[in-house]
Amino acid sequence: MAHLTESVVRVIDEFAKLPGIGRKSAERLAYHVLRVSASEALALADAIRDVKQNVRYCKNCFHLAEQNECDICRDPRRNQSQICVVEQPRDVLQLETSGAYSGLYHVLLGRISPLDGIGPDQLTIDSLVDRVKHGTVREIILATNPTVEGDGTALHISNRLAEYPVEITQLARGITTGSVLEFANKEILADALSGRRKF
Amino acid sequence: MAAEKSLAMVLRTVEFSESSYVATLFTEDFGKITALAKGARRRKSAFESALDLLSVSRVVFLSKSSDSLDLLTEARLEKAFRSSQKELSRFYAALYIIELVNLMTDNRDPHPELFRTTVRCIGRLDQGAPIAPHVLKFELAILRHLGHLPALHACSECSRAVPDAARMAFGIWNGGVLCNSCKIGKRKVVSLSLPALQLLRSWSEPEPETTNDTDWSLPQFDTEWTKVAGEVRGLMNQYLCDTLGRRPQLFDFLGFH
Ligand SMILES: [Zn+2]
Ligand SMILES: [Zn+2]
Repeated sequence: MAHLTESVVRVIDEFAKLPGIGRKSAERLAYHVLRVSASEALALADAIRDVKQNVRYCKNCFHLAEQNECDICRDPRRNQSQICVVEQPRDVLQLETSGAYSGLYHVLLGRISPLDGIGPDQLTIDSLVDRVKHGTVREIILATNPTVEGDGTALHISNRLAEYPVEITQLARGITTGSVLEFANKEILADALSGRRKF
Repeated sequence: MAAEKSLAMVLRTVEFSESSYVATLFTEDFGKITALAKGARRRKSAFESALDLLSVSRVVFLSKSSDSLDLLTEARLEKAFRSSQKELSRFYAALYIIELVNLMTDNRDPHPELFRTTVRCIGRLDQGAPIAPHVLKFELAILRHLGHLPALHACSECSRAVPDAARMAFGIWNGGVLCNSCKIGKRKVVSLSLPALQLLRSWSEPEPETTNDTDWSLPQFDTEWTKVAGEVRGLMNQYLCDTLGRRPQLFDFLGFH
């Protein structure tokens, strides 16, 4: 690859760092960027810069937001008495596509994963407890993934919230144990929401 | 590239790509393996919940000769761990068991008896067996299987028999009890009561392999155990950290100091 210029090598290196992109794909992407017009290529660069500069975690629910609060928290039509607790922002997106839920969310930004040294303190559980303590919440829907770690996380949260007057429910197991929310389809998610049961 | 089959326990899974996991499995017949499970993160994948942590599954994998990952082609769930829905301390204890297995075993080093001991221990924990004594039993079992059991009868330094006394010297760095002359000047020596030492001796004896999976009654779990539990725990924490060369992640979750 001696004939590649320094900047081409750099863009290949950067693409190759992306998840699921091997060296070959990184080269293909780099050649694509070289081939397209400057404006098209720079649109990608701008989009990346914008997302890093403008996107942060919502101060209430830790979903992705472009302001202090996310679109969902700012939407007055959302049911303020329900909070659905999920592991990742991508789970919010998945549940939103089901269209079956109109309450608020709380994103944990992970799950209790002791073998990776991740305990409850590394998640956003304290903020969730604060929301329950000071808010108008009546129902907490635990929608962590149906894996041993997701279940353990749900159990920890339900223990933490036991002293507060909120109903705690969990998604029904239409989703196979051990699978992940991210890949469930919308019918299954809608069923899981409507069939949720007391924790 | 041969297709191998075995019963296996899932020790670790790491997301590898959008759809795949790299799974660390403790197999009955081949020891620990690290295998790529393509498509395992997709819904309705052939792996379903067979690759969740602590699951016991029947696996088929293509064994790669070089350093590269084995390729998992099939995994069928035999037994899932359910206690993380009910009791966190049981979940943490079970994770600690597989953390020890992962830290202490080498890839492709088969220990079928240790595999069965591990499955039995996790099964008992999942079924409600008392946690602390089962964790200790397992620690002693894995140390024994892998040749790291401390000397509990003869002096770990001079190999002479150590006569029983109300308190015995145990050298963490020496790997076991020390006689009166050898203990002089040694560092990291703890004083252990005779009942604590006797418990360690009897619990480190191998359990008969015929023991039923659902039978977790262990006659020694009475006052004899509760009296020395704290003392034995303290010793094991030090001994394990020294043997492993690190502090297991789960110590904090289990409140081990
Ligand atoms: Zn929000
Ligand atoms: Zn000696």
